[in-house]
Amino acid sequence: MDGVRDEWSELMAAAQGGHGGAYRRLLGELRQWLTRYYARRLPPALVDDAVQDALIAIHQKRHTYDPARPFRPWLAAVARHKWIDRLRAMARERTDALPDDIATGDHEESVVSATVLRELMGTLKPAQADAIRLVKLEGYSIEEASAATGQSGSLVKVNIHRGLAKLAAIVRGRSDDE
Amino acid sequence: MTSERLIETLAAGLTPVRPRRLSRDALLLGAIGTVELALLLMLGGARRDLATVMMQPFFWWKLGTMAVLAAIGLVTALRSFDPTLSPRPGLRHATVAVGAALAIGWLLDATHRSGASLAARMQWRDGLHCMTVMALLSVPMFAGLAVLIRRSAPTDRTGTALAAGIAAAAWGAFVFTFACPHDDPLYVAIWYLAGCSLVVLAARWLLAPMARW
Repeated sequence: MDGVRDEWSELMAAAQGGHGGAYRRLLGELRQWLTRYYARRLPPALVDDAVQDALIAIHQKRHTYDPARPFRPWLAAVARHKWIDRLRAMARERTDALPDDIATGDHEESVVSATVLRELMGTLKPAQADAIRLVKLEGYSIEEASAATGQSGSLVKVNIHRGLAKLAAIVRGRSDDE
Repeated sequence: MTSERLIETLAAGLTPVRPRRLSRDALLLGAIGTVELALLLMLGGARRDLATVMMQPFFWWKLGTMAVLAAIGLVTALRSFDPTLSPRPGLRHATVAVGAALAIGWLLDATHRSGASLAARMQWRDGLHCMTVMALLSVPMFAGLAVLIRRSAPTDRTGTALAAGIAAAAWGAFVFTFACPHDDPLYVAIWYLAGCSLVVLAARWLLAPMARW
């Protein structure tokens, strides 16, 4: 653990000098440490926000770390400070009972549609699926789809036609089943 | 934004920073204090009988009290700019120092009992003037500490603000000691305490929010 601490100290010293790679690595390791730290102290829903708050605080106050001293007490002090801030914020927030009419229309239909479509496209040949996805779902022209897929313009049209016919058949078949 | 994305953003925008040094901050505050005191003395702000009163214990009690309080306040504030250090022990030391100073002042007063009435010793008009000047003289140190607080990472906002307030107030009073013609311990205890309390209160309300990060 001491080795880790020393390494963090060195990484932070490098970060203070502007070394982005060292800083990226340090923040990545600190993120894990902070996640464990806040997971023991905050409700699960608040952990991610607290980790990000702490990462931003570490970034903004990185000049206050003295590389001649151990890194972990500095990190723990910053993490604790942000934790207390978070607790104060929680105390200030009002907790209201949810009204009965809070329910709104959901996105179930869209989500189901997207999932079903992905599943249906998976039943097509790759060339047909690509042509339909590019032209019918993403709005590219036949020429653009042709350039993107390497198919000729005529073949793109044929694949769209055959693919859609197959999809229609599958959907009809499913409807019948249901 | 995910944490991974945040880390990428922070690392991509990384710029070199100069690590904070307590000695550098102390040097800045020392320079502010020295310039202020030098200006007061050079511009003729010192009391005319300074050479004479320097032989009196009252003057040294007044000067010593303010010097000790300013030193405790400055050291406490500077240390508390580090997130790992708390200002609370320093604040306790300052409280003890105030108590000790009042006790010494009471002893001095008892040994040199003045025959004047309480109202005469208080000198309300002069007292209010002293309080105002003292507060104004604390402004440069107050401003210097405010700048340092913004740059630092104190974890006890109120404690740091109070320590900074004590430092600024006591330094303002220390400088004023060279100009103030009053040495009566009762006068000093009342009006200097009031003037310093005013500055500490201002620090509590103005500097504590600045210590937020």
